[in-house]
Amino acid sequence: MTDSFRSATGRKLISRASAGELGVVGHFVVDADERRIAALVVGRGKKAQLVDWAQVSGFGPDAVMVIDDGALRAPVGDREQAAADGRLDLIGKRVLTEQGNALGVLDDVIFDASTGAVAMLRIGDRDIPAASLLGSGPYAVVLDATQDPAP
Amino acid sequence: MTASQINGLPVVTVRGGDDIAEVRDVIYDPEAGRLVGLTLNKRGFFAGRRREVLPADAIHAIGRDAVMVMDESSLTAPEDAPSDVGHPATERNVIGDDVLTEGGRSLGVVRDLAVLVGSAGEVVGYQIDKAGGGHGYIPLPAQLAVSGAALVVPDVTEEFVRDDLVGLGAAVDEFRSRLGLE
Repeated sequence: MTDSFRSATGRKLISRASAGELGVVGHFVVDADERRIAALVVGRGKKAQLVDWAQVSGFGPDAVMVIDDGALRAPVGDREQAAADGRLDLIGKRVLTEQGNALGVLDDVIFDASTGAVAMLRIGDRDIPAASLLGSGPYAVVLDATQDPAP
Repeated sequence: MTASQINGLPVVTVRGGDDIAEVRDVIYDPEAGRLVGLTLNKRGFFAGRRREVLPADAIHAIGRDAVMVMDESSLTAPEDAPSDVGHPATERNVIGDDVLTEGGRSLGVVRDLAVLVGSAGEVVGYQIDKAGGGHGYIPLPAQLAVSGAALVVPDVTEEFVRDDLVGLGAAVDEFRSRLGLE
């Protein structure tokens, strides 16, 4: 079943073990090399915590189920801290091709809720296959040459 | 695009999606007819010059919106860069040079470089202030000799003066084939 970053943002995070609510999905951290969700960011600012995708036991339409209350962890290292701070959030980020030409702003990401694999990147009314994703970071999402606008 | 449009562009890593520098100036080799590299500023207003340079062979592509590099290691200390990038000669600028045909006709004065979008810095022509007024573009490789004051181009160049970059793009191939270059 596919889901999207925009529609999943704000969804409850529930511990399968305790049935307790641990927070809500703030945004997503994507591993551009693997083209899949690496982690979810829960909360904002200094209190933001991460949930590794491996801790997600069921990404459902009404709640995101995690294994237990220990699924939440603090960010480790510069890149995870940047992620927790929201600087790596893909939504709203400028999109460049590897040729250095802008395509617009990333509006949404379509993913497989059972595996966390990114399927499509939505820019305006265009859906671009995740295979074109080369990298992402604080400044831009970078796509391969097949997405370059004609000169 | 023109070389002056490259100045100020962010330098962005393909893998990291990070803006690690911005272009301060282009370094052009008029004899070779290509960019040999870029000098850099730090990102942000008043952030100042970056010591490292970006040699042409470390440029992934120059686009309208960014200069792309693979990663931070593409930036090179001046002493480790080719000497024409690390220590560029100051008198090799062609901007302001008079463009003279072999027959001794002035086509105008060099105003800017025309750079192929998406390339690593291929210069395909010059933007000129035409002798008769207005701007135009002439294709490269064109000059036979270049000094600090003038560059000499084949007589046929006069037939390939174009009004815009789109026209130049179409003219370059025909121009080169007329000169027996391709």
